[in-house]
Amino acid sequence: MSKYSLLLAAFLSGFACNVHAIDNNADWLENYNRAMFNFNYQLDKYTLKPLAEGYRAITTPDIRNRVTSFIGNVQEPVTAVNHTLQGSFKDTLVSLGRFLINSTLGLGGTFDVAAGWGLKRNSTNFDTTLATYCVPDGPFVVVPLLGPATPRSLVGLTADSVASPMYWGTQHDKNYADKISYGYAAIVTINTRERALDLLNDLESNSVDFYATTRSAYMQNRQAMKNLCASSRKKTTASYDFDFEIEDEFE
Amino acid sequence: MKKIFFAALATAFMLTSHSVCAAIDAAEAENFVKKNTKEGIEEIIDSNISQSEKDKRFEKLFNEALDLKFIGQFVLGRYWRQASPSQKNDFIEVYRQLNIKTWSKRFDEFKGKDFVFEGTSPSTSANQIFVNSKVPMDQGKPVEVVWRVKQNGNHFKVVDIIIENVSLAITARNEYTAFIKNSPTGIDGLIKDLKTKIK
Repeated sequence: MSKYSLLLAAFLSGFACNVHAIDNNADWLENYNRAMFNFNYQLDKYTLKPLAEGYRAITTPDIRNRVTSFIGNVQEPVTAVNHTLQGSFKDTLVSLGRFLINSTLGLGGTFDVAAGWGLKRNSTNFDTTLATYCVPDGPFVVVPLLGPATPRSLVGLTADSVASPMYWGTQHDKNYADKISYGYAAIVTINTRERALDLLNDLESNSVDFYATTRSAYMQNRQAMKNLCASSRKKTTASYDFDFEIEDEFE
Repeated sequence: MKKIFFAALATAFMLTSHSVCAAIDAAEAENFVKKNTKEGIEEIIDSNISQSEKDKRFEKLFNEALDLKFIGQFVLGRYWRQASPSQKNDFIEVYRQLNIKTWSKRFDEFKGKDFVFEGTSPSTSANQIFVNSKVPMDQGKPVEVVWRVKQNGNHFKVVDIIIENVSLAITARNEYTAFIKNSPTGIDGLIKDLKTKIK
């Protein structure tokens, strides 16, 4: 698994380097992307979405908040490593402090006790780390099961997954490693989908081309990450600033 | 010599553009957004009135605060020039109604919340400015909401709303132009589809 992930990461980072010159607005994988988007959409409609709705139906907001806190706490060591790689050492200490406090006093991370003490969650990931090192994002690509992504986001996701305590912390016990990893992945997936239920329902119901809307929103968010790159920080224009003029005023 | 001439021309152009951008009254633009969001939250979202009254008030506020003709024209992109006058009118009207419907619902999620304003940022477009705000949420980071405001004389209008780096205008433009490009029914098909969304 680890070898495969590293190979995948190496392949994708090479891919990302080769496509940096492509304009993000140019969707040169559109035919494939649309087909895969429709496949994922149908899969989501009949599996993940009903599961997320069922999860919402049988739990209270408070229980779901506990689950979200637990997931956030598991990710805290990875967050700490990424803050270090980004040179934010104060944030590294905050993340480590949060992990220690919430894992113990916060009952395994289900309660965010540290936030009440002023140690607010400041999540980050390897994708953001790569962005701070100015690694190009690459083109928009819809991945089977995963959904919208870019080569850099996939490298980030792979690296964060391998660095997660839920992966390396269970490797010593081969009998349980897979069960825990897959169980945790299932919880994260359903929890994430439940949190996105209202937003995606809203986008879908008001959209005439759901793929185009999703792609546009996703890539605008990616565009904003460009400002994390050291050479772009001096630029004062926001990612959403553009020449907003119209040719002829309509009366 | 040629180089010096072009450099002087470019400098003059930059100085002129700067003075145009600087012409917008940042404090007034921020006050305009503050006043409208305050009115929206206090008199519509948080008030104990019927849903039909809420919708009516929201529509009035929305029409006054947003320049939907300007946004509507922009989101149709290059297809605006190809549209007939009646298609233009129909599109602007259906786009206006769709926005009122969707944003009235979206802003309902800010019930009981307050917008915290954090000043303005310059825009590269003439007579436009960004008003920055945040909405603290119960869990996680506050939501960043940026308002793009256009000044016309003493009047201000919002021409774009950017939530967490996602612009309403850019998203709609990408969506609508993709639809027209891929649909055999073109602009008429878009108007017809949008009409089904507002029912």
